[in-house]
Amino acid sequence: MEIHLQLFSILRDIIPPELKGRTVIQLNERSTLKDLLTELDINRRVAISVNDLQERNRSRMLKDGDEVKIFTSVGGG
Amino acid sequence: MTNGYHGKILHVDLTTGKFNVEEPGEDFYRKYLGGSAMALHYLLKDMPPGADPLGPDNILVLALSVLTGVSISGQSRLTAAAKSPLTGAIGDSQGGGFFPAELKFAGFDALVIKGKSPKPVYLWIHDGEYEIRDASHIWGSITGEAEQTIREDLGDKKIEVMQIGPAGENAVRFAGIFSNSNRANGRTGMGAVMGSKNLKAVAVRGKNRPSIADKARLLELAKWGAANLADSDIAGLAKYGTNETTGSNQESGTLPTYNYNSGVFEDWEKIDGTTMYDTVLKGTGEGKQDREGRDTCYACVVRCKRVVEILEGPYKVDPKYGGPEYETTSTFGNYCAIDDLAAICKANEICNKFGMDSISCGATISWAFEAFNEGKLTLKDTDGLDLSWGNAESMVKLTEKIAKREGFGDLLAEGSERAAKKIGRGTEEYLITFKGQEAPAHMPRVKRSLAVIYATNPFGADHQSHEHDPAIEDDFEYYEERLGVLGFSEGVEPQTLNREKMRFTVATQRLYSAMDSLNLCQFVFGPAWQLYGPNDIVELVQAVTGWEDFNYSDIENVGERRINMMRMFNAREGFDRQQDIIPEKLYKPLKGGASDGWKLDKDEVESALDTYFELSGWDVKSGIPTPEKLEELGLAWTAT
Repeated sequence: MEIHLQLFSILRDIIPPELKGRTVIQLNERSTLKDLLTELDINRRVAISVNDLQERNRSRMLKDGDEVKIFTSVGGG
Repeated sequence: MTNGYHGKILHVDLTTGKFNVEEPGEDFYRKYLGGSAMALHYLLKDMPPGADPLGPDNILVLALSVLTGVSISGQSRLTAAAKSPLTGAIGDSQGGGFFPAELKFAGFDALVIKGKSPKPVYLWIHDGEYEIRDASHIWGSITGEAEQTIREDLGDKKIEVMQIGPAGENAVRFAGIFSNSNRANGRTGMGAVMGSKNLKAVAVRGKNRPSIADKARLLELAKWGAANLADSDIAGLAKYGTNETTGSNQESGTLPTYNYNSGVFEDWEKIDGTTMYDTVLKGTGEGKQDREGRDTCYACVVRCKRVVEILEGPYKVDPKYGGPEYETTSTFGNYCAIDDLAAICKANEICNKFGMDSISCGATISWAFEAFNEGKLTLKDTDGLDLSWGNAESMVKLTEKIAKREGFGDLLAEGSERAAKKIGRGTEEYLITFKGQEAPAHMPRVKRSLAVIYATNPFGADHQSHEHDPAIEDDFEYYEERLGVLGFSEGVEPQTLNREKMRFTVATQRLYSAMDSLNLCQFVFGPAWQLYGPNDIVELVQAVTGWEDFNYSDIENVGERRINMMRMFNAREGFDRQQDIIPEKLYKPLKGGASDGWKLDKDEVESALDTYFELSGWDVKSGIPTPEKLEELGLAWTAT
């Protein structure tokens, strides 16, 4: 299945810079957010939204066409 | 033999022009460590209760710590403290750059500034020497020009200058004190206090570096930080600035928008850190923004500061004045529903040129935007400026009018709370102020411990006075080891205000309070996601000072001592729990996004406040420290 991915901050560096953090990734059916993070080799603390809704559950099953945004951030500012 | 500090405090009375050098002993430095706690010592001891914040009886303290100027990231910061003309309570503001380290090298640990000069002056402090110099020729100058003139006057372009801009001279109640023309001790109106004393600037230069007890240990700590930055949680902050947080705040519904009516802004990607990096940082066109578009503080490898250069279009921006932080893109941006990044950068430039706090300035404008959009203000009130949501041109014009106290800007220069009281018409319901200070861009309706901190913090709403909720909620698994040092072994459910959350609030507040006394950057040091953890702070103090018996309980004690001193300062100015108030708007639901419907509950907040006061050892009814607590902290003298 295809997952539409948008990566922010330093996570953008995982993919070619000309893509500006946006890409489409192929995952096996019944893959979870945890599987996606493993595929991307992301081990750090991140915040995730699926289809523009905050998602805390890393076991959430993804489906074809989902739009996933992954953020890093700090607490203050 | 002192390590890390000089043991010299420079006192100056601007009324008489006389200086005095005080030489406190080690006990004094161990009790306060420096910075904010040290400043409070002088404000409580030497300022008469009821002093006019803009009168000669107010005292302005610029203070460093026992760590300032040593070669490690995150230490070149300074506290500015005085009675606040914005709140009438204690004023306290932290800022970084190169000035703090250079002041240390000039030979002093703090400046205590009293009285009022009969004419504009600046202080020149170098290698243990000090003098008052005429500043008539730079009074009225914007920051960049005044800084250059002072360096030319004194014939040394490496002199560091901390100064006020025209806003401080004009007594804008949220004027700040600036160094490098782009680093702000922005909050609580310290620039207006400096202006009221006819003090334009402090210029410093020197080579007097205090000795370090264990240089090898310090070097090891510094090298560890540099080696681990790329894999740390602040790697994104380093590359994309504090504006990195815009996206995650949007995602969690904690991005204050439409003057705090919503926690999401649909156009957030136009103003976030990655867009800044890709479009407006100096050097972007040649792909050199990492080299030219990022700046730093003395000896800091993080380089989180933004340098914006815009050469074309209606909003040209001079890189000399830096670039906006997350707070600034929020208050001038999402608070006002403005998605024009160049306009936001221009407003930031105006704040840095004229010397204003971009948080209170932008938030005050956003209050006016809401009042205008609700029909409570008209074009007649606003000098013809259309303050419809998203109107970037009006926002920029209004920012400059505030700095110059022109027309409607003169009213807003008083801050949103005074402006609302003067205008009336129900505009008070649009205020997001705590003790009269406008709230920064972190959402208490979601990160709920912020509600308690914003309400109780002695110098008004502040986002860097404790660790935010996520560290003890979803993110606890990542920070268990560091938070264990503070006594936490498990996380709490999100969006709670239970006793464990309050215990977390009090414990992390004490650490942040101590860091404002050690003058440590709260991105580099802290209890959770920061580059260095609490045990590293202990090790750093030991390495620099040689106090081998120094431990984490000493940090807790200084942090607690500072907060108690602030509460005692406020108590004598007539503040108690009655002023620890949360604006009514925060009890109304947010609209849209992940936080849709979220609001604070009054009973829950009052119960949390009871717990917070109890855990702080204060009288729950009045919120004032008990005599027993003061005695325990060596502060019984503050009650007299």
